Amino acid sequence: MTQVALIAGGGGGIGGAVAQRMAAAGITVVIADNDGGAAERVKSEIVAGGGSADALAIDVTVAREVKAVVTDVAKRFGRVDILANIAGGSAYTKRIEELTWAQWKEVIDANLKGTFLMCREVAPIMQKQKSGRILNTASNYGVTGSALRTPYAAAKAGIITFTKSLALELAPDHVLANTVAPGPTDTPRVMQKESPEARQQRWWPNIPLGRTALPQDLAEMYYFLTTPESAAITGQTFHVNGGVVMP
Amino acid sequence: MRLKDKVAVITGGAQGIGRATALMMGREGAKVVVADLQGEKAQSVANELQGMGAQAIGVAVNVASESSVKQMAKATFEHFGRVDILGNIAGIYYPKASVVDLSEADWDRTIDINLGSNFLCCREFVPAMRKQKSGRIISVASGIGHYGMRQFSHYAASKAAIMGFVKSLAREVGADGITVNAICPGSANTSMPRQHRSEEEVMERLRSTPLPHILEPEDIAGSFLFLASDAAAFITGQSYNINSGNYMF
Repeated sequence: MTQVALIAGGGGGIGGAVAQRMAAAGITVVIADNDGGAAERVKSEIVAGGGSADALAIDVTVAREVKAVVTDVAKRFGRVDILANIAGGSAYTKRIEELTWAQWKEVIDANLKGTFLMCREVAPIMQKQKSGRILNTASNYGVTGSALRTPYAAAKAGIITFTKSLALELAPDHVLANTVAPGPTDTPRVMQKESPEARQQRWWPNIPLGRTALPQDLAEMYYFLTTPESAAITGQTFHVNGGVVMP
Repeated sequence: MRLKDKVAVITGGAQGIGRATALMMGREGAKVVVADLQGEKAQSVANELQGMGAQAIGVAVNVASESSVKQMAKATFEHFGRVDILGNIAGIYYPKASVVDLSEADWDRTIDINLGSNFLCCREFVPAMRKQKSGRIISVASGIGHYGMRQFSHYAASKAAIMGFVKSLAREVGADGITVNAICPGSANTSMPRQHRSEEEVMERLRSTPLPHILEPEDIAGSFLFLASDAAAFITGQSYNINSGNYMF
């Protein structure tokens, strides 16, 4: 039976690479992104390469939207084997006294609440199937913290422990939940903000493997966590960061 | 074939997690050095690998002996000419004794075999990996290294120390394209836990994990394979827990 993966944030750098990797393994991928155009572009690339994909727009912070999308996907594809929550990001770098309540909530919601809402809708489907893999996304900042990114680091730390709790809840039904924690990764979004030279100067001396990650480096980890070889792994956090953080 | 023509040295390869890892890597195209204190058993795993069409040799080694580890390295280079993957799996979980009753000899033995072996084996193989600018080192630590275990202070200390060693070596050799990681298995369905517990107790423990999945050596080997493959090129200095959800660190 063909597996079905729902990838929230699948239009972004890491999400797009994850969608490509899973599609290359024969998984049908449903790419959901708040940028519907980006989702469509990833879908077209996959379909052009012979893969099976669909695209849709979603705001993962809006409960009724999440519910509608998951219901629709379940109805059309008959199942959801994999949920990858990769939507989110660190919208602001600001000192705490300059951060508004609205900005704080925006970052917490985009990362932590979005993950909760997606899991809440998909988990019962997987429990009924008696199988499923949930892949949430944290960050090395969720372990180390980061100056000027208090809401982002808090949300990512929250995702790590949310995922452990969810893993314990869902384990009896053979539904596995794990967290992938990327370090500095060359996504189009961050490459827009910083020149490659500045980025190299800032990061490379501090990374034991001497470079920043490519989205594909992360995609391999997400994919591994969907395979039979990872059938005994749940509630864990997988840092993929070239050694910049070794918790 | 994810490890085609890679040369993998697996210590503790005669049984349990080591054997499962050796077999899985051989299936993926690796040439395997099956190294174990029990040389005959190591040879029979090597024979099994050859039966599958993989290239393999069995080597008797005492991983806590400098000269013996040097011999193992020599055999590896003589037979296969290179090394790409080092799996530090050999270890002991013995004896069961509270701190006040533990002899100095038993303390030393555990630390030498579990931890010292990591130092001795890495010291022999890192130079070749450095020269070729690539290599994968994967060591077995344990969840007990995180949370401790009464009557196994020596084992817990040795396993926690492996994680510190792995992180430090990862920093030393990262610039040379070598990754170094640890895998922390939970209690697995091998002979090791049966040294201290009855069959019923062992199975009860294996069945009591959050995930209703008895942890088999192949579950651990799967992560070894992943970390040894090209897919894990950007992972270093990490300690990954494979334990059916038994603890989440």
